[in-house]
Formats: sequence, structure tokens, C-alpha cells
Amino acid sequence: MGEGYFKQRNGLYVLDVMGACGLMTGEQFRGLAAAVAELGVPAVKLTTRQTVVLLVPEEKAAALKAAVESLGLRVAPYHNVVRPVMACPGSADLCPRALGNALALGQALQERYTGQEVPKDFKISVAGCPRGCTEPYCADFGVVAAGGETYNVAIGGFGGSSRPRHGELIARRVPRDAVFAILDHVLERYRALAQPREKLGRAVERLGLEAFLPPAQLLRPAEEPDPVLLELKAFLGAPE
Amino acid sequence: MTPTRKAVDVNLGALAEALEKKICAACDYLDAAECRPERCMVAFARKVLAFVLPKGVLDVPGASQLIPATDFKVYVPEDVAAALAETLRQCRECRDNHSPDCVIALTRACLENALTGRRIDYPGSVFLYLARLREQDPRLAELVARELRHGTRPED
Repeated sequence: MGEGYFKQRNGLYVLDVMGACGLMTGEQFRGLAAAVAELGVPAVKLTTRQTVVLLVPEEKAAALKAAVESLGLRVAPYHNVVRPVMACPGSADLCPRALGNALALGQALQERYTGQEVPKDFKISVAGCPRGCTEPYCADFGVVAAGGETYNVAIGGFGGSSRPRHGELIARRVPRDAVFAILDHVLERYRALAQPREKLGRAVERLGLEAFLPPAQLLRPAEEPDPVLLELKAFLGAPE
Repeated sequence: MTPTRKAVDVNLGALAEALEKKICAACDYLDAAECRPERCMVAFARKVLAFVLPKGVLDVPGASQLIPATDFKVYVPEDVAAALAETLRQCRECRDNHSPDCVIALTRACLENALTGRRIDYPGSVFLYLARLREQDPRLAELVARELRHGTRPED
């Protein structure tokens, strides 16, 4: 496993820094700003995967990495690993369109899976509603909140390619725990079946979606309806 | 008249008001013993709007399955057209992301059911909807279009 640390054309290096699915505290931002000033970082750039890249001279990279880690942040893992997770702000407190707690789920997925080794970089995106601001159908493993604490899951998508591919829906309205179990299964099958450096989507094209599908019990929709729907039924006086 | 559509905001209050003042106020069963809210499309839509208004949500997954199928009252197209037009004014035109469980869509489905006994598959666009409505019910489409052009606020 490598780290997000790359030489640029101008000889400087970038350090790819990950927060909690793009979420950082004011203290972390202030700490980064102080490090940027102290170490002469000439530019900071936000990435499509909700990370922050810092441009730095090679001789100061180690000091910058130490500063980053002292803030509770880390340099993103890179090269044939599960990459930092993208998640929208979907939650009960933030986006009014959210149908579920996408941000917390994304953070939990990132905590558990980021850095795990796989045949080719594996991207996870979590969206709080079907609008899909995080483009879940363009991810190797896309999750879309479907009401209550249930989620739809698509696999095999990717966008960064001359031949992009949309993910295929494999689970509807599964409970939160099942998302983790499905991901465990997909990763296990991916490691077992894919050729070296083969994207999951290409492996799906080559072997068929069935080769990656989890057992039926993991794909069973949640039996409990959306709590808001239950509340509405009670409000209407309708039978549950 | 409320604005035809603004992507930034939805006025569910205007929708509830249109239902109350354009349809309920003209209903023969208003305040009568025969009024059966649990069987009434309009009462259902009003209750759903009352439920979501304080919550600030637009979508209740599964709610479209709760629309009552036991409303056999006769509705006046002109009254329903005014409320139908209000659903179009509030529509955010989500296109591909249209959800039948959106409370605006739910209200529109109730009104379609009340008047025609069937639902029109909503394409997520007011213009496309009017074209579709014109194919199925030219007179209602004309009434709705007229309301959109010249409609008045419910209290007028």
C-alpha cells in the first residue's frame, strides 16, 4: 500500500490529506493553515474525492505529514487500495433532501475499509438520496439512502476512464448492517476473482454480476418500514 | 398568484391553501355528517401536507402507497384544476430524480385520481406533464394551463 504523495512537474510534491469524508473541524483547518504558512506550502487544492492536497517541497514533506497527523488527519492511502470514501452531507441535521444518514455511514465505511488492499483502486461513494451528489453509480461500491436506515447498493461503476461504466444495483432497501456485510462479500470476491489491476466493473463484465453477488439473505430488504412512514400512518390513523 | 416555479423554495402552505379554499370550501360535504376524511383524496393530501410542513421534509418513502382508493365523490374540474395548477407551480422539476413519494407529487396524484380515476405518470417536468395531460384529457389540460397563466391566489 502506498500513500498519496506524488511528485509534480515543477519538482514539488503533493500530500493528499483525508478528513472524515470531507468533514474537518475549524481546529484542523486552522492547524493546516498554520502548517501551510510555516512550511511554505505554495498551494492547497480540494480534490474530487473530498480530500485536500498540499503542495510542498520534498525536504519539508515529512514535517508536513507530521503536522497533518498531529491534527487527527492522515495522508490518504493510494495504489490498489480502498480509497477515502466520498459521502454527501445527508443526515438528520444537514441536507433537507436526505433520506438517511449518509455522512455517518460513509465515515464508518471509511474507518473500516480505507487502505485495505485490492486488485485495483476501489472507490466507495455514499449518497443520502437518489439525486446522488456523490455520484454513487460511478463508484466501485455505491450506496444510496432509501428511507429510514435502509440503503440501495450498486457495484462495478467507475467514472475515471476513457470507457466509464455505471454501477449495477444489487440490493434495495437493505438495513445499514447489511451494507457492511455486502461490502465484505464483494471485496472478498473481488480479491479472489479479479486479475491484477483489474477494476471491479471490468471483472463484472468478464465474469458476470452473479459471481460477485452476496447470498440472498444479505440482499433481503429491511422488514421495518421507514419510521417517518410509520409516523405518517399513525398521523393518518391508517393501519400499520 | 404564487410564482410558477422557483428551484430554491417550495411553498407547501400555498398548496394546502389551494386544496382547502378551492376544493374543500366548495364541497357539498363540508362540515356535514357525510364528510369522510379517511376516504377523501383531498383530505388525505391535506393531512399529508400538515404532517410534513412542521418536519420540513418533501419526501416520505412509501407514502404514495397510502393514497385512498375509496373516494367516489364527483369533483368539479374547474376547482381541481386550480389546485392541480398549484402543484405545478410548486414542482421543482426534478426530471430524472422525480419521486412519486414527494408530497407535491402525492397531492397531484390525489387530484388526478379524484377527477379522472387514474394517475398520470409524471415526467418530472411541468411542460412535459401538460403535454401528457393534453393527450389524456384535453379539457383538464386547458383548465390547468389557464390557471397557470391567469390563476388567482386561493383567497382571491
